[in-house]
Amino acid sequence: MPLLETQNLSYVYSENTPFRMVAIDDVNISIEKGELVGIIGHTGSGKSTLVQHLNGLLEPTSGKVLLNGEDISSSKAAKRAARFRVGLCFQYPEYQLFESTVRKDIAFGPHNMGLSAPEIEQRVNRAAAFVGLRPEHMEKSPFDLSGGEKRRVAIAGVMAMEPEILILDEPTAGLDPRGRDTILQMLLDYRKTTGNTVVIVSHSMDDVAQFADRVIVMNGGKVEFCGSVHEVFCRVEMLERVGLDVPQVTGILMELHKRGLPVRTDIYTVEACAEELARVALQRGNGV
Amino acid sequence: MTENILEFQNVSFRYEGSSEKEQLPLAVRDVSFSVKKGDFVAILGHNGSGKSTLAKLSNSILLPESGKVLVNGMDTADESLSYDIRRTVGVVFQNPDNQIVASVVEEDVAFGPENLGVPPEEIRKRVDNALKAVGMYEYRKHEPHKLSGGQKQRVAIAGMIAMLPECIVLDEPTAMLDPRGRKEVMDTILKLNREMGMTVVFITHFMEEAVRASRVIVMDNAEILMDGTPREVFRQADRVKAAGLDVPKPAELARALQKKGVPMPDDILTASEFTEYFLKRFGESNNATT
Repeated sequence: MPLLETQNLSYVYSENTPFRMVAIDDVNISIEKGELVGIIGHTGSGKSTLVQHLNGLLEPTSGKVLLNGEDISSSKAAKRAARFRVGLCFQYPEYQLFESTVRKDIAFGPHNMGLSAPEIEQRVNRAAAFVGLRPEHMEKSPFDLSGGEKRRVAIAGVMAMEPEILILDEPTAGLDPRGRDTILQMLLDYRKTTGNTVVIVSHSMDDVAQFADRVIVMNGGKVEFCGSVHEVFCRVEMLERVGLDVPQVTGILMELHKRGLPVRTDIYTVEACAEELARVALQRGNGV
Repeated sequence: MTENILEFQNVSFRYEGSSEKEQLPLAVRDVSFSVKKGDFVAILGHNGSGKSTLAKLSNSILLPESGKVLVNGMDTADESLSYDIRRTVGVVFQNPDNQIVASVVEEDVAFGPENLGVPPEEIRKRVDNALKAVGMYEYRKHEPHKLSGGQKQRVAIAGMIAMLPECIVLDEPTAMLDPRGRKEVMDTILKLNREMGMTVVFITHFMEEAVRASRVIVMDNAEILMDGTPREVFRQADRVKAAGLDVPKPAELARALQKKGVPMPDDILTASEFTEYFLKRFGESNNATT
């Protein structure tokens, strides 16, 4: 049984009005324990609407979300449990910081769970360590931090609930390259240390290709395709049709291949691509 | 009339602290540079490096603590000139949702020229031209909040160009957009620069966008760290990375190959430059030439 699963999930905005819009349409996905899943799709493809169902924030118009086989909207208790077991971090989460200190802001979630003070303390410290916040940050106002730091505080606030599934909607949007790398590395470490599932909604094919075990491609409210990084990024025509791209280095390999150079095209990272091209260059004898 | 539309002379600026006692560090320290008419300048730098402050200093939203900012020779500190200064340099910000004021696209674009007291028939012409320039003319009767991020940002840009500025400064206009929206906005900006001769100052975190500018300025810790053509800047990959930035992926790939002993030039910027070079050097037909 998958950890989290949707069955024929649909959601309609403004039902019974002239503005009726089907945001997601008969979506069936499943997510296993410990996976790192990337969700890609252009704006309006339904990514954000989908993830907001996964912890019960939106109620499906039809269909179900199952957590460990149990429908999360079957009872009040199930709904409450889903809120804590599936942690959702929105786009630009730093706009939602509100407490007077970083420590209090991160403690807000665990506090709502009704945990004991020592337990809250422990969880806050653990989450702060995951996102690389130092003790001197903890008593500061979150509003005195830099953009990248605020983002990390907001993510720590969700991590502190220690959800089995951590979902992040575009966690690196708007950050500079260093801020982006820090957050991605932090999420990889978090998954490795805790063994928890991580789901990342992203616009960056380069990032997804690098970190994901499995990729879900959304288009027009439906799941267009779902598979491994390789299975997704070898389907260039499908990606083009839904307004997405291959990672930049893969694009270079594909062009070289098209122009007659015998290179592999199932490569998605700079390092692996350099290895492949070095092999070809050195084989041809005029490399070094 | 001077050749430089924008000139920063030893400009320093700091934001006010939350209390009187607290003095924040300088956000911009002794920065000097000038932008020629018709140029396309990209400004890069990590968060907090002072890029956005430069944007706000460029049309008197902020005034320097010391030094001078000149717009077509007009000092931004001279309040009596602020009307002319803001007509000359328009600024577009990151979040399109914060910049749209009307409930119909064409009314939103008309907002700026109306405020300038432009006669109605002239407004009509400017709005149509501006919407055509950004490729949003067929959406003129639409509600802005129902548009995609890229479309909204193009409407915001149209609102700016309807005021006929000579120079537009864009502060991370693509940061909140998806790849398709980013491309739409980038193509629009290039068109304004190349076809309409508008001077563009473009702040971004995306290196592949900066590559398309004619000049790149790298900010680091409130100062200018590098200033040159994209090729001159990105060939110094170590300095660029030390400033918390990336080099474009094709450049990174070329360097990774160099490290493996494959001779590659230092100044590759784009995917097509990479493939052309690689094919010429290692492709079948030219196998023997070295």
